[in-house]
Amino acid sequence: MLARTKHFGEINLDESKIITFDNGILGFEEYKKYTILYDNEDGSRPDISWLQSLDEPALAIPVISPLLVKEDYNPAIEDELLKPLGILNEDNIVVMVSITVPPMFENMTANLRAPFIINSDSRKGVQVIIENSEYEIKYRFYEKLKALKAAKGDK
Amino acid sequence: MLALSRKQNESIMIGNDIEITILEIKGDQVKIGINAPKSVSIYRKEIYLQIKESNKEAAEASVSDEVLKKLFK
Repeated sequence: MLARTKHFGEINLDESKIITFDNGILGFEEYKKYTILYDNEDGSRPDISWLQSLDEPALAIPVISPLLVKEDYNPAIEDELLKPLGILNEDNIVVMVSITVPPMFENMTANLRAPFIINSDSRKGVQVIIENSEYEIKYRFYEKLKALKAAKGDK
Repeated sequence: MLALSRKQNESIMIGNDIEITILEIKGDQVKIGINAPKSVSIYRKEIYLQIKESNKEAAEASVSDEVLKKLFK
Protein backbone atom coordinates (compact mmCIF):
# COMPACT_ATOMS: atom_id res chain seq x y z
CA MET A 1 0.00 0.00 0.00
CA LEU A 2 1.01 3.61 -0.44
CA ALA A 3 1.45 5.45 2.82
CA ARG A 4 2.02 9.12 3.40
CA THR A 5 4.51 9.80 6.16
CA LYS A 6 5.72 12.81 8.08
CA HIS A 7 9.43 12.41 7.45
CA PHE A 8 9.82 10.12 4.47
CA GLY A 9 7.21 11.40 2.06
CA GLU A 10 5.06 8.84 0.30
CA ILE A 11 6.35 5.33 0.69
CA ASN A 12 5.34 1.89 -0.47
CA LEU A 13 4.57 -0.06 2.65
CA ASP A 14 4.22 -3.80 2.82
CA GLU A 15 0.93 -4.73 4.51
CA SER A 16 2.87 -7.00 6.85
CA LYS A 17 4.48 -3.92 8.40
CA ILE A 18 1.21 -2.54 9.70
CA ILE A 19 0.89 -2.57 13.48
CA THR A 20 -2.54 -2.23 15.03
CA PHE A 21 -2.98 -0.45 18.35
CA ASP A 22 -6.56 -1.44 19.13
CA ASN A 23 -6.81 1.15 21.89
CA GLY A 24 -4.82 3.75 20.00
CA ILE A 25 -2.22 5.62 22.00
CA LEU A 26 -2.96 8.16 24.69
CA GLY A 27 -3.91 11.51 23.24
CA PHE A 28 -4.43 10.00 19.79
CA GLU A 29 -7.08 7.41 20.55
CA GLU A 30 -8.73 7.72 17.14
CA TYR A 31 -5.68 6.43 15.25
CA LYS A 32 -5.13 2.69 15.38
CA LYS A 33 -2.79 1.80 12.51
CA TYR A 34 0.92 2.46 12.76
CA THR A 35 4.20 1.33 11.37
CA ILE A 36 7.80 1.66 12.51
CA LEU A 37 9.96 3.60 10.08
CA TYR A 38 13.65 4.35 10.02
CA ASP A 39 16.22 5.43 7.52
CA ASN A 40 18.68 2.63 6.85
CA GLU A 41 20.28 4.16 3.82
CA ASP A 42 23.74 3.45 5.14
CA GLY A 43 22.84 -0.21 5.63
CA SER A 44 22.58 -0.30 9.40
CA ARG A 45 19.54 0.23 11.53
CA PRO A 46 19.78 3.56 13.33
CA ASP A 47 18.98 3.85 17.03
CA ILE A 48 16.17 6.20 16.22
CA SER A 49 12.89 5.11 14.59
CA TRP A 50 9.49 6.67 14.10
CA LEU A 51 6.15 5.33 15.18
CA GLN A 52 4.26 6.60 12.15
CA SER A 53 0.48 6.73 12.10
CA LEU A 54 -1.03 5.35 8.91
CA ASP A 55 -4.31 7.14 9.60
CA GLU A 56 -2.75 10.57 10.04
CA PRO A 57 0.43 11.27 8.04
CA ALA A 58 1.35 14.23 10.28
CA LEU A 59 1.52 11.99 13.35
CA ALA A 60 4.95 10.45 13.85
CA ILE A 61 6.56 9.92 17.24
CA PRO A 62 10.30 9.38 17.53
CA VAL A 63 11.04 6.19 19.47
CA ILE A 64 14.10 4.39 20.77
CA SER A 65 14.83 1.23 22.67
CA PRO A 66 14.67 2.07 26.37
CA LEU A 67 17.75 -0.09 26.92
CA LEU A 68 19.76 2.49 25.07
CA VAL A 69 19.26 5.07 27.80
CA LYS A 70 18.63 2.75 30.75
CA GLU A 71 20.46 -0.57 30.54
CA ASP A 72 18.53 -2.20 33.36
CA TYR A 73 15.10 -1.19 32.05
CA ASN A 74 12.86 -4.04 33.08
CA PRO A 75 9.52 -2.78 34.34
CA ALA A 76 6.87 -5.11 35.70
CA ILE A 77 3.83 -5.04 33.45
CA GLU A 78 0.53 -6.72 34.27
CA ASP A 79 0.04 -9.76 32.03
CA GLU A 80 -3.56 -8.71 31.49
CA LEU A 81 -2.44 -5.54 29.75
CA LEU A 82 -0.40 -7.54 27.25
CA LYS A 83 -2.94 -10.29 26.62
CA PRO A 84 -4.46 -8.53 23.60
CA LEU A 85 -1.08 -8.81 21.85
CA GLY A 86 -1.13 -12.60 21.75
CA ILE A 87 1.71 -14.80 22.96
CA LEU A 88 4.86 -12.79 23.57
CA ASN A 89 8.34 -14.22 23.69
CA GLU A 90 11.90 -12.96 23.54
CA ASP A 91 11.92 -13.08 19.77
CA ASN A 92 8.70 -11.26 18.96
CA ILE A 93 8.53 -8.62 21.68
CA VAL A 94 9.50 -5.10 20.67
CA VAL A 95 9.71 -2.42 23.33
CA MET A 96 10.06 1.23 22.40
CA VAL A 97 9.75 4.49 24.29
CA SER A 98 8.94 7.88 22.87
CA ILE A 99 11.43 10.69 23.06
CA THR A 100 10.71 14.39 23.13
CA VAL A 101 13.35 16.53 21.49
CA PRO A 102 12.99 20.27 22.13
CA PRO A 103 15.10 22.86 20.30
CA MET A 104 17.53 22.72 23.22
CA PHE A 105 18.76 19.17 22.73
CA GLU A 106 20.16 18.90 26.24
CA ASN A 107 16.58 19.01 27.51
CA MET A 108 15.49 15.95 25.60
CA THR A 109 13.60 13.30 27.51
CA ALA A 110 12.43 9.73 27.11
CA ASN A 111 9.10 8.53 28.46
CA LEU A 112 10.10 5.43 30.41
CA ARG A 113 6.75 5.32 32.18
CA ALA A 114 4.64 4.51 29.13
CA PRO A 115 6.44 2.17 26.73
CA PHE A 116 5.01 0.92 23.47
CA ILE A 117 4.95 -2.88 23.49
CA ILE A 118 4.58 -4.58 20.13
CA ASN A 119 4.23 -8.22 19.18
CA SER A 120 6.01 -8.50 15.84
CA ASP A 121 4.21 -11.79 15.05
CA SER A 122 0.63 -10.68 15.68
CA ARG A 123 1.58 -7.10 14.72
CA LYS A 124 -0.44 -5.70 17.57
CA GLY A 125 0.73 -3.00 19.91
CA VAL A 126 -0.25 -1.27 23.12
CA GLN A 127 1.01 1.66 25.09
CA VAL A 128 1.02 0.68 28.74
CA ILE A 129 1.51 2.81 31.82
CA ILE A 130 3.89 1.30 34.31
CA GLU A 131 2.89 1.32 37.98
CA ASN A 132 6.44 1.82 39.23
CA SER A 133 6.86 5.59 39.46
CA GLU A 134 10.65 5.24 39.49
CA TYR A 135 10.35 5.12 35.72
CA GLU A 136 10.02 8.75 34.77
CA ILE A 137 7.73 10.27 32.16
CA LYS A 138 10.40 12.83 31.42
CA TYR A 139 13.65 10.95 31.84
CA ARG A 140 16.51 13.23 30.83
CA PHE A 141 19.17 11.34 28.95
CA TYR A 142 21.27 13.83 27.05
CA GLU A 143 24.35 13.18 29.20
CA LYS A 144 23.83 9.46 28.75
CA LEU A 145 23.63 9.90 24.99
CA LYS A 146 26.84 11.92 24.97
CA ALA A 147 28.58 9.17 26.92
CA LEU A 148 27.25 6.58 24.45
CA LYS A 149 28.52 8.57 21.52
CA ALA A 150 31.89 9.01 23.15
CA ALA A 151 32.08 5.24 23.71
CA LYS A 152 31.23 4.60 20.06
CA GLY A 153 33.91 7.04 19.01
CA ASP A 154 36.51 5.10 21.02
CA LYS A 155 35.90 1.88 19.13
CA MET B 1 -21.29 15.20 38.41
CA LEU B 2 -23.16 12.53 40.30
CA ALA B 3 -22.05 12.41 43.94
CA LEU B 4 -22.81 9.35 46.08
CA SER B 5 -21.87 8.85 49.73
CA ARG B 6 -20.35 5.47 50.53
CA LYS B 7 -18.89 3.83 53.63
CA GLN B 8 -15.98 1.46 53.84
CA ASN B 9 -16.65 -1.81 51.98
CA GLU B 10 -19.62 -0.36 50.15
CA SER B 11 -19.64 -0.36 46.36
CA ILE B 12 -20.95 1.38 43.32
CA MET B 13 -21.85 -0.33 40.06
CA ILE B 14 -21.26 1.44 36.78
CA GLY B 15 -23.29 -0.40 34.18
CA ASN B 16 -23.33 -4.16 34.64
CA ASP B 17 -19.67 -4.95 34.79
CA ILE B 18 -17.76 -2.18 36.55
CA GLU B 19 -17.72 -2.29 40.33
CA ILE B 20 -15.97 0.28 42.48
CA THR B 21 -15.48 -0.52 46.16
CA ILE B 22 -14.24 1.71 48.96
CA LEU B 23 -11.67 -0.57 50.59
CA GLU B 24 -10.17 1.67 53.21
CA ILE B 25 -10.44 5.22 54.48
CA LYS B 26 -7.40 6.53 56.31
CA GLY B 27 -6.95 10.22 57.06
CA ASP B 28 -7.05 12.06 53.73
CA GLN B 29 -6.58 8.91 51.63
CA VAL B 30 -9.12 6.52 50.25
CA LYS B 31 -8.21 3.11 48.89
CA ILE B 32 -10.48 2.10 46.04
CA GLY B 33 -10.92 -1.34 44.52
CA ILE B 34 -12.02 -1.57 40.91
CA ASN B 35 -13.47 -4.60 39.19
CA ALA B 36 -13.79 -4.02 35.48
CA PRO B 37 -13.47 -5.94 32.22
CA LYS B 38 -9.89 -6.16 30.98
CA SER B 39 -10.81 -4.07 27.99
CA VAL B 40 -11.33 -1.06 30.24
CA SER B 41 -8.15 0.88 30.88
CA ILE B 42 -7.79 2.32 34.36
CA TYR B 43 -5.32 5.07 35.12
CA ARG B 44 -4.60 7.54 37.87
CA LYS B 45 -5.85 10.70 36.25
CA GLU B 46 -2.78 12.87 36.79
CA ILE B 47 -0.55 10.19 35.26
CA TYR B 48 -2.99 9.65 32.40
CA LEU B 49 -2.91 13.37 31.58
CA GLN B 50 0.87 13.53 31.79
CA ILE B 51 1.32 10.60 29.40
CA LYS B 52 -1.15 12.13 26.97
CA GLU B 53 0.76 15.37 27.12
CA SER B 54 4.07 13.55 26.69
CA ASN B 55 2.83 11.74 23.55
CA LYS B 56 1.69 15.05 22.09
CA GLU B 57 4.97 16.77 22.87
CA ALA B 58 6.96 13.93 21.35
CA ALA B 59 4.84 14.05 18.19
CA GLU B 60 4.88 17.82 17.87
CA ALA B 61 8.59 18.47 18.25
CA SER B 62 9.64 19.68 14.83
CA VAL B 63 13.01 17.94 14.77
CA SER B 64 13.80 16.16 11.50
CA ASP B 65 14.88 12.57 11.02
CA GLU B 66 18.23 13.74 9.73
CA VAL B 67 18.98 15.79 12.83
CA LEU B 68 17.84 13.01 15.13
CA LYS B 69 19.91 10.41 13.36
CA LYS B 70 22.96 12.58 13.74
CA LEU B 71 22.20 13.11 17.41
CA PHE B 72 22.11 9.39 18.01
CA LYS B 73 25.01 8.46 15.81
